[in-house]
Amino acid sequence: MITGLTIWSVVKVLLIILLLIYIVFSYVIVRQVQLMTDTLVIGFEKQLKFLAFVHFLFAIAVLIFSILIL
Amino acid sequence: MPDIFTSKKVTNPIKKPLYKELPMQERRPLASFLMRPDGVSFETREAEEQIILFLRKHFVTNIPWMFTAVIMFLAPMVVSSFEILNSIPTNFRFVFVMIWYLISMAYTLESFLTWFFNVYIITDERIVDVDFYNLTYKEVSDANLDKIEDVTYKMGGVIRTLFNYGDVLIQTAAEVTNFDFLAVPYPDKVVKVLQDLRMEEQQEVIEGRVR
Repeated sequence: MITGLTIWSVVKVLLIILLLIYIVFSYVIVRQVQLMTDTLVIGFEKQLKFLAFVHFLFAIAVLIFSILIL
Repeated sequence: MPDIFTSKKVTNPIKKPLYKELPMQERRPLASFLMRPDGVSFETREAEEQIILFLRKHFVTNIPWMFTAVIMFLAPMVVSSFEILNSIPTNFRFVFVMIWYLISMAYTLESFLTWFFNVYIITDERIVDVDFYNLTYKEVSDANLDKIEDVTYKMGGVIRTLFNYGDVLIQTAAEVTNFDFLAVPYPDKVVKVLQDLRMEEQQEVIEGRVR
């Protein structure tokens, strides 16, 4: 018999796996932005790299926060 | 002895190319149409190669994804008022909202980057098409101006006529046979510049010049 507690435990594990995959994805964005700014020099490189990095940090923060509160 | 026939002095009828008449434009990173931009460069650019036109999709083409992004960011506020969600524990609800904002952020970032890095460059030697399909795939193709065989442009529809943008379709004899400059501003000017450059390229071949 599945109790309410075990259902939410499964959801917690799934969410953490999802967030781990998401962190890999957000790192791919950081790398891709780096590669593209090497390909094209337009004058917006710093801002773009900053945005991609903020997104990556936000993903890590959400993972840590989820582990702590769930 | 007086001349029986003296020919009239012929003034040079060749019109100066359009792109040479226009001033050099300053670098504006979010612009869709830049004529002879200053400070813009790309990976495979040669030292003496001059960028004549720098193009990307018209800014108006961003409105659909911007609208979707705004809805995505506002959605949690609307959804939180549904009573059915009260059965979900508060901590889980909070994490769901955070994940939703992450996904919304990724969507916004990807849409913006796709627009920003999909650029078309016309130099005095070739055309370059930089395609950024999604976050994991990019393609850079180029063709020399003398390989261009046919240039056409399409402009139709209310929005396109209103904001003056359209597609410029270039057929080449290069490895990549089709270069499609999609939704670029002032397609007529782009075609004119390409015509001028091709004529100049032909002139260079006749005169045996490199540049």
